[in-house]
Amino acid sequence: MRQVRIGRRSVEENDGDRGTEVPRLRLVSAEAYSGWEEIYRDNVTRLYRTIYAKVGNRADAEDLTAEVFLTALRPLRVSASVGEVRAYLLATARTVLASHWRRTLGVQVTTLDDERVETVFGDAPTAASADAAARADAILGALPDRYRTILRLRFLEGCSVRDTADIMGITVANAKVLQHRALGAAAKVGA
Amino acid sequence: MMAGGVRRYVEDLLADRRPRRFRVRSDEDADQVRTAIALRAAGAGDDGPSEEFTAGLQQRLAASRSDAPAVPRGPTRRRFVQAAGVAAAGAAVGAGIDHLVAGPAGIAAAPEDTGTIDPTLGAWQAVVPSDQLPDGGVHAFDVGTVAGFVERTGGRLRAVSGVCTHQGCRLALQPASRELACPCHRTVFALTGTVVRSQLRTPPATLPRLPVREADGHVQVYAPPS
Repeated sequence: MRQVRIGRRSVEENDGDRGTEVPRLRLVSAEAYSGWEEIYRDNVTRLYRTIYAKVGNRADAEDLTAEVFLTALRPLRVSASVGEVRAYLLATARTVLASHWRRTLGVQVTTLDDERVETVFGDAPTAASADAAARADAILGALPDRYRTILRLRFLEGCSVRDTADIMGITVANAKVLQHRALGAAAKVGA
Repeated sequence: MMAGGVRRYVEDLLADRRPRRFRVRSDEDADQVRTAIALRAAGAGDDGPSEEFTAGLQQRLAASRSDAPAVPRGPTRRRFVQAAGVAAAGAAVGAGIDHLVAGPAGIAAAPEDTGTIDPTLGAWQAVVPSDQLPDGGVHAFDVGTVAGFVERTGGRLRAVSGVCTHQGCRLALQPASRELACPCHRTVFALTGTVVRSQLRTPPATLPRLPVREADGHVQVYAPPS
């Protein structure tokens, strides 16, 4: 019998592997997958989130996620255990991210260095997002008020420059300058 | 002052467009891009992959697999562990995993399952004709189970694994400096296997050495059969 870890909601065992409405069961790492589609469905969301946290935009996150699966799934033996499959996906993602940075900016801006299989694919489905939020808080917390405010409005809340300027009671030109200075200061905090 | 490339990159991130590439010239540039990504990743855009994307990728994968040769659901896990354990001597995760899932040939060729890891499971494999490795020469090799570099210096041969001991990335030979560079985390190894420099707070372990000899006009390394 297959062991299962239950996600947020309690569910009965998912025998069919078909129903998209059935809440996801998390496999325990010594188990094997029933097929590559299950490998994909079980891991795509976490892998995407993990990569998104490293590139900060959807287009690149989608491309890199696709590259990881296209690279990894073809040679993958389905009989490998869940833990091995995930370790392989994460190792592939590291290499894919590294080559993305080499290709686009020439330096390794972010890495999947410290990410561990247990956290990336662990029980908390949004671990990557929670991490990102904590990191952003740490950066913003070290900044003067006005810097913190403009970065929060622009980056976290997605306000336009104009809206940000209105909210802060400054001109659009000033908002642009302030944003650039704030990011510069934040970069020194984070570095 | 922020360089134009960084500024454009940041504006693209904020607009959720694909950021345009540019050459990062300084640590300041890299720090600003990294910080912008960190802040953006904490923002509202991160609600997981879209249905459209996950469904589309699933179709692409199905298409890519349907023209792939059928992979036998072959060997037991134990046999895999055996092969990988020997291949990597515990050091090269990348190489081990690579090998593990690399395809039917390597695994299927493993000998009967004895239930133990047998470190003598290996064979001398020619990697380069002797006359093509002069004194002072370096040669990259890949025998399927193990990839590495062999050098001849002062009349002696030495072979090291070509996989970084940190995360398993493939090392690249820098011919000018005769060093092995990891593309992933700015780490450089000497051909002896020792770390020359590394951006990592804890430098990775020394590269494993491989037994190497010269016979039948070839330089050979001792490695698991492929």
